[in-house]
Amino acid sequence: MKYRFIVEPWLCTGCRTCELACAFSHARNLKPGRSRIYPLAHAKDKYVPVTCLQCDDPACVKSCFFNALRRNEETGAIELDLGRCVKCMACVAACPFGCALVDEVHDEIVKCDLCQGDPACAHFCPSKALRYTRLP
Amino acid sequence: MVTIHINGKAVQAEDGEMLLTTIRRQGIDIPALCHHDAVEPCGSCRLCMVEITKKEWNGWSRHVTSCLYPVEAELIIATHTPYLQELRQTIIELYMARSPHSEVIQKMAGEYGITQTRFQTVPDGDNCIMCYACTRICAELGCFAISAAERGHDKVISGPLREAPVDCVGCLSCAQICPTHFIEWTDDDTGRTIWERRFELLACKKCGKKTITKDFAEYQSRKRNLPMSYFDICDDCKRMELSKTMGRIVVSAEEATQ
Repeated sequence: MKYRFIVEPWLCTGCRTCELACAFSHARNLKPGRSRIYPLAHAKDKYVPVTCLQCDDPACVKSCFFNALRRNEETGAIELDLGRCVKCMACVAACPFGCALVDEVHDEIVKCDLCQGDPACAHFCPSKALRYTRLP
Repeated sequence: MVTIHINGKAVQAEDGEMLLTTIRRQGIDIPALCHHDAVEPCGSCRLCMVEITKKEWNGWSRHVTSCLYPVEAELIIATHTPYLQELRQTIIELYMARSPHSEVIQKMAGEYGITQTRFQTVPDGDNCIMCYACTRICAELGCFAISAAERGHDKVISGPLREAPVDCVGCLSCAQICPTHFIEWTDDDTGRTIWERRFELLACKKCGKKTITKDFAEYQSRKRNLPMSYFDICDDCKRMELSKTMGRIVVSAEEATQ
């Protein structure tokens, strides 16, 4: 892992540009997908962008019986192989942070894959609350 | 890496992978019903047949199910010869006779320009095409709850002794993987019914949203050492909790710096 996705919630203004960037960068069949990142308000006008934490010991990978979830060693992201996914909802239920999501539009499970090492949300975040930086 | 020739084009393929994977990676559409990446291939639907030959075979060729044939160096593959198209049409016609009410089969028949089957239709034919995708995925899960029962015309997929499967955990993998959507289940306020068995659904302790079955959560917890507390609340509430926890940390950090 050479890069790290950094979330700085105190900079987040709740503008939801990241949601748009995520949904449109993962669009398929001319339909935007479900966003993998959400600014959620924990108090009035105080937002935390909630997204997959790419845990070191991930519960989603453990819960998947079909090896559909695997870590991409290059980006450090846990990626979902849609070809192997049978939508058993094991990862959705097991993730302790609720960051494996159900996309009703495309009828599939989605989770943050750090856009194969170039996260669209970090590109578009106007307040730089989301950053993708090279580790020293 | 080995080099194979698909429809006259030289293509690199990984060692040990099956022909179907290589062919589909090239964007060539080959129909298949029983194939799914998550399970072992079994070649029961016969729709993915391709023609293979080699230079040293002196013009002889074979027709093989591409999902079961591992790549070999210098294979020459044809995927859409007139003979193969006719073969696929015949197979689809057989499926139409067996499962006359299946929308998936009918759509496939439409794509191949078939309007009616030449074979005698099974009047009360169900949508099960005996592809064993459900039993294979159940085996992959480690449950082995369902299997084929009886023989010949009476063969059905069911639990042992045609009773409700005791080892089933109600995960719905079989219903989701079924290519013809034959396996039925119902979710209601009190639980889930599949394979004539009733399952208790876990409800979120905060908002009451139904998640997975209690049996499946216990199965995951037992097999993969996940604490049962992970299944207490639903994913929406978990994200809200994460936001609140992070927010609390941010607020306390801000207070500390002031």
